[in-house]
Amino acid sequence: MNLKYSKCLGLAAVLYFTANYSAQQQVRDTASKEKAIEEVVVIGYGTQKKSNVTGAIASIKASDIEDIPAGKPEQVLQGRAAGVSVITNSGQPGSAATVRVRGITSFGAGSNDPLWVVDGIVVDGIGWLSQSDIESIEVLKDGASSAIYGVSAARGVILVSTKKGKKGRLNLTYNGSYGIGSASRKLDLLNATQYATIMNEAKANDNKPLIFNSPNSYGEGTDWQKAVFNNSERNSQEFSISGGNEKSTFYSSFGYLDQTGIVLSDISYYKRLNARLNSTHKVLDWLTVGQTLAYTHSKSQGVNANDEFGGPLSSAINLDPITPLVVTDWSKVDPAYYPSASPLIRDANGNPYGISQYVGQEMTNPLAFRQIQQGKYNWSDDFIANAYLEAKFLKHFTFKPSINGKMAYWGFQGFTPTYYLSSTFKNDKNNLNRVTQKKLEWNTENTLTYQNKWGQHNLTALVGQGYYEYNILSGQSTTYSNLPVNNWQDASFNFKVPIEDISAGAWDGLQTHKASYFARVIYDFANKYLFTGTIRRDGSSNFAPDRHWGNFPSFSVGWNVSNESFWPSNNIVNSLKLRGGYGILGNDAIDPFYYENYMVSGSNYTNGNNNVITGYAPLTLANKDLHWEETAQSNIALDVKIFNNIDFSIDFFEKKTTDILRRVDLPGYVGVTSTPWKNIGDMTNKGIETSLGYKKQWDDFGISFNSNFSYLKNEILRLENNKPYVGLAGFQSMGNVSRLAVGYPYGSFFGFQTAGIFQNQAEIDAYKNSSGSLIQPNAKPGDFRWQDSNGDGKIDDNDKVYLGNSLPKYTFGFNLNLNYKNFDLLVFAQGQAGNKIFQGLRRLDITTANYQTKILDRWTGEGTSYNTPRVTMDDPNGNYTRMSDYYLQNGDYLRIKLIQIGYTLPKSVTDSFGAGKVRIYVTGENIFTFTKYTGYDPEIAAGDAYGIDRAYYPQARSIIFGTNIQF
Amino acid sequence: MKNKYIKIILAGSLLIGFANASTSCSNENLEDTKNLGAINLDSYFKNESQCFAALTGVYDLMRKYSGGFENMVTFFNAASDDFYAGGGSSTDGAGIQGISNYTIDAVKMPNSYFSDYYKGIARANLLIQRVPTASMDEAKKKRFIAEAKVLRALYYFELVKMFKNIPLILEPIDAGSDFYNIPQSDPKAVYSQIEGDILSSLPDLPMTVSGDERGRINQGNAKAILGKIYLYDNKKSEAAAQFADVNGTPGQTSQYGYKLVSDYSSLWITDNKFTSESVLEAMHTNKSLSDWGVWGGDTDEGNSICIMTGLRSYQMKTPDAPDLVSGWSFNTMTENLYNFMQGDPRAESTIFNAKQLVAAGKISYTAGFMDTGYFLKKYIPKTADKTNLPGATELNFRQNYIAIRLADTYLMEAEALGATGSRAQSLLDAVRSRVGLPSVPVSMQAIKDERRRELAGEGHRWFDLVRWGDAPTILAFKGFVAGKNEILPIPQDQLVNTALKQNPNY
Repeated sequence: MNLKYSKCLGLAAVLYFTANYSAQQQVRDTASKEKAIEEVVVIGYGTQKKSNVTGAIASIKASDIEDIPAGKPEQVLQGRAAGVSVITNSGQPGSAATVRVRGITSFGAGSNDPLWVVDGIVVDGIGWLSQSDIESIEVLKDGASSAIYGVSAARGVILVSTKKGKKGRLNLTYNGSYGIGSASRKLDLLNATQYATIMNEAKANDNKPLIFNSPNSYGEGTDWQKAVFNNSERNSQEFSISGGNEKSTFYSSFGYLDQTGIVLSDISYYKRLNARLNSTHKVLDWLTVGQTLAYTHSKSQGVNANDEFGGPLSSAINLDPITPLVVTDWSKVDPAYYPSASPLIRDANGNPYGISQYVGQEMTNPLAFRQIQQGKYNWSDDFIANAYLEAKFLKHFTFKPSINGKMAYWGFQGFTPTYYLSSTFKNDKNNLNRVTQKKLEWNTENTLTYQNKWGQHNLTALVGQGYYEYNILSGQSTTYSNLPVNNWQDASFNFKVPIEDISAGAWDGLQTHKASYFARVIYDFANKYLFTGTIRRDGSSNFAPDRHWGNFPSFSVGWNVSNESFWPSNNIVNSLKLRGGYGILGNDAIDPFYYENYMVSGSNYTNGNNNVITGYAPLTLANKDLHWEETAQSNIALDVKIFNNIDFSIDFFEKKTTDILRRVDLPGYVGVTSTPWKNIGDMTNKGIETSLGYKKQWDDFGISFNSNFSYLKNEILRLENNKPYVGLAGFQSMGNVSRLAVGYPYGSFFGFQTAGIFQNQAEIDAYKNSSGSLIQPNAKPGDFRWQDSNGDGKIDDNDKVYLGNSLPKYTFGFNLNLNYKNFDLLVFAQGQAGNKIFQGLRRLDITTANYQTKILDRWTGEGTSYNTPRVTMDDPNGNYTRMSDYYLQNGDYLRIKLIQIGYTLPKSVTDSFGAGKVRIYVTGENIFTFTKYTGYDPEIAAGDAYGIDRAYYPQARSIIFGTNIQF
Repeated sequence: MKNKYIKIILAGSLLIGFANASTSCSNENLEDTKNLGAINLDSYFKNESQCFAALTGVYDLMRKYSGGFENMVTFFNAASDDFYAGGGSSTDGAGIQGISNYTIDAVKMPNSYFSDYYKGIARANLLIQRVPTASMDEAKKKRFIAEAKVLRALYYFELVKMFKNIPLILEPIDAGSDFYNIPQSDPKAVYSQIEGDILSSLPDLPMTVSGDERGRINQGNAKAILGKIYLYDNKKSEAAAQFADVNGTPGQTSQYGYKLVSDYSSLWITDNKFTSESVLEAMHTNKSLSDWGVWGGDTDEGNSICIMTGLRSYQMKTPDAPDLVSGWSFNTMTENLYNFMQGDPRAESTIFNAKQLVAAGKISYTAGFMDTGYFLKKYIPKTADKTNLPGATELNFRQNYIAIRLADTYLMEAEALGATGSRAQSLLDAVRSRVGLPSVPVSMQAIKDERRRELAGEGHRWFDLVRWGDAPTILAFKGFVAGKNEILPIPQDQLVNTALKQNPNY
């Protein structure tokens, strides 16, 4: 049996690598895809042959994305491109991911997001994008390739192109899948008996009366995690139709996604509808018109994630197991905690949900919490569109004006009934709240390209101009209180309530405008010597009028050594390219208008007649000198192809960011309402990225393997006012647990170093300083010995030392595709290493909060433990209330994200009903995670969450059944 | 042929039109963004309403006595021998717990006690500098500046009482200046500055205020503030002179309209605002619809002492029990104060005897941290006072806080007079006879005891003990260390890379 497979390439004007299977030809879709004759890569404002690319660009094609379960567009990048790290912010359906290109470039949290450009439209993220619409994604990683995006480019640029359709017969595809998931890991928490025992022991250690008379009588108690975790479901249906003729091509798609979460799925879900129409039309021989239009509608609800101050996950971890889930036996609870006049939350049988007598504050029964959250939802309607003309004239010129934009509408509606969840967490006035917001962001770009070829010389030159407007936003919120009904189904704004029960507010966004001019020259001689140079001049309204403009140049060169005449023809090294480049990029992601000072309202007071009077106060200190951050990036690389099957490339890069923008902490005596923005720091990132691929196809069997591995070292060089460090993330009453410190990576953990546990009084007495007095005079046996790092004889904040990084040093991923006859197997794994995670799951200020079973290893007598101190509520030695290495764990992990087995129906079967291809598959998602981390999920967003696990909503382990059908 | 040209022309104009859809890249488009809702500082202070709004911004910090979790009254009550911190647990509020048992240090000391008052001072400095150029009535200009100077003096007074060694800043800080290196000033310089500021402002202030101007600075309360400052600065005769003006004839109405109210318990009725006894009153209302996101901030106008001093999980068991709102059980009363006040007519308004009510089966409640069974009654949250407007119930109590009462100024004058002489005697007598107590011979000890009984729970006791030098002995049981705890530690964040030095022994 001869299996033939063929592909066709895109048209001349826009070249994309696509795989198209038309029913007219003998087609066999296999998991392994052979490289096209001339692979093409999208670069800013154009495309380039891959062999001639001199910058560091990672390219991901539609075929790589097809197999990834729908609903997480940013995740298509995870583990597939060296140097691009994608961390899910939470396992909650609909939650975005944090994407970082070559590490953390700047100090502000939001300003480390790369620039997303979809079909030329600058957008703030791709959560609305349907994965199957993506044709290709290019990540411009280095200075040379991204400098063409100027002042927005310092954190990397991600270009997404959607499918456009091709001439030929009509193509119909259908992708459907259904999956079920569950929590892959639960914490080991104490049961009721263990809890009572530990609490009593803590009280005894503090010389206080015990709480529980007979700890053993409580048995197992309530398993709160079992109450909050449930199975999740995911249902996705997508259709697309595309086709065209010599004049026009089009691509349209429709999709529906319905996803519930693994935590209390009726209040944690995401539903999405999307539709798209892309088309191009050749109006005249030399004039093409094109457009893209996408619409996405979503409805969702979420539970607090990564928040120790409330929410069902945090409650499930901290609540005591003695409290029952539902009160059925009144002899076991104290009726004083269930005041009869209060609106207790009851289950279907009328029994109230258990209220804890021991753990208070924001911790509430998660099932009762779920009941009061019913009916609340977030919604959004997004329209993303662009339109362009392309005119070719005088044989070599192309003029392309375009207009692009995103119009987003979104909002929230929710009814909060009266409820009594505990004496601290209660509401005696119901209210109905509706928030609506609208935001428009748009840009235009016009480019003129000249392309010519003479002899062995190839030249493409481009000049362009762009204008961008951001954050044209308005919103309002209305709340009606004291409605005459107390459930969300009947609540409505049609009830007329007195004016005292109505409160409303509205707001306007502050816009940012940017303008730019740019130019680029790409030249190659005989495909051997390659050169690219760009320059961009950007102006941003975020800076003062005399500091609007900045210039961002770059250049890169390459040498296709294997095309040289002196290159011996051999079958070992098929191609070898050296490339290198340097570019300067900018960043202006700050709040606007901080270069001046303003009086703002809100400093209110009350007058003699009890009315609120509005006061005005100065907002901040003006900073006329505010200007863009600059990142200078250099990159040297080698790409080599060996034995016709093996691709290897290695990049060395260094980026140095200067004049980093950050809000500066001012001394309290300056007395302003809001801290100012300043250019105050410098930071470097250095690293190595490697990728290795192997591909071979025999008759029946084929293999394709891609992997990438990168190493990154980040270091802060300078901070404001020559400070050695500034506190970064805090945790409860510990103060700052991580710092921005000169000479260390961003977000390094600093704290006390433990040096064992005092096993007896003699050891405490032996721990002396140079003058002979005790270093820890108030310690008791069972307490941590703290390292006196600065040797001054006492333990205080000056003894805090560097304990580890929150940023990973190594990120890696691999992709293995095997095919055998009609079967295909895909294994995709990714991971990271070299970072530490701060596990902050327990509320320190709730001394009766539950513990993980690790506490059972606590010290109870000499020699019983060397790493877990004695339990105590008062904690005078700060064993649990001090930031120390006790709280840090290694965050290294390798996760098998996808295992997919597919079967494609044989041609004979599909031909009988006219289909081109029918494939069915089963996917296991997040099947195995190899890690030593004991929390729910080691994949904690190191950038935005600073590596602190506060009860991160874990990702589900799912099994998904699906089918692709093509006509 | 014609068709082709038409097509070309059409296409050409489409292209040009398209290209023009983009606006030209000039500075104009970059500068047509607006900072909506804000007014550029250079164009502010033009007329009276702008200046008044800026003045309101200075008054905003009067909320520090009783607004937000980190307020002066509950913090300094917890520091004294009359109350413990209380709350939910030993870690509920690092600052208030730390001052209650004198484990307070730079890390536990909340930043807001330092930085909030400096916000008021910065706003006052800006107003004083810019109002002269506004176009408004000259007399009003002088009044506004005088009010700002008195408020600035009041805020500096609170700071110097708390921290002693503080920077003295009298001009708006320029962004380009070396503001990280402003050193602390000699406390004497601070006192001398604020005394001078109030003295020079007195002529520009109105004698009294009425209607919606009630609560604003006038000659009466400015003199009372000045007298208090003199007293703490140990300038007793100057203090006595100021208080004499404020107090007038003991027991009678003074020139500013102040007179002791006849019913002590009426001072604690929520809607009984601006009584004749109130000299300086911090205003609260429920109309700011305050909520958790803005709690303690500039837009929060609620009184937080109320919810903080309520009993935890309070339940009425009989219909005749007091109808109170459950709170967070801060400022539990010491046995010491309870015993001290037995037999005094003011005990009824000051002490909420939960122990007795529980024993009588009338109420039940959950004991919080350091529960004694006795609570502060003056601000306790009553169901009848709950807000009926939107916003969090806990945060919208509208009871005002009287920062300076006439009874307080009577006793301060008696102290300033050296606790001897007929005037001092009649001042003491007037305070006592108001609640029906007989006269006792005037002496320092008699005044100290009277202050304790009259002003219990109002946040003055700790400052009194430190001023009299009695703190080390009386507060020894709490862990007070002489030579250290008379002033508070400068919060840790203020010391990083500034010229500020920590207070001794912290």
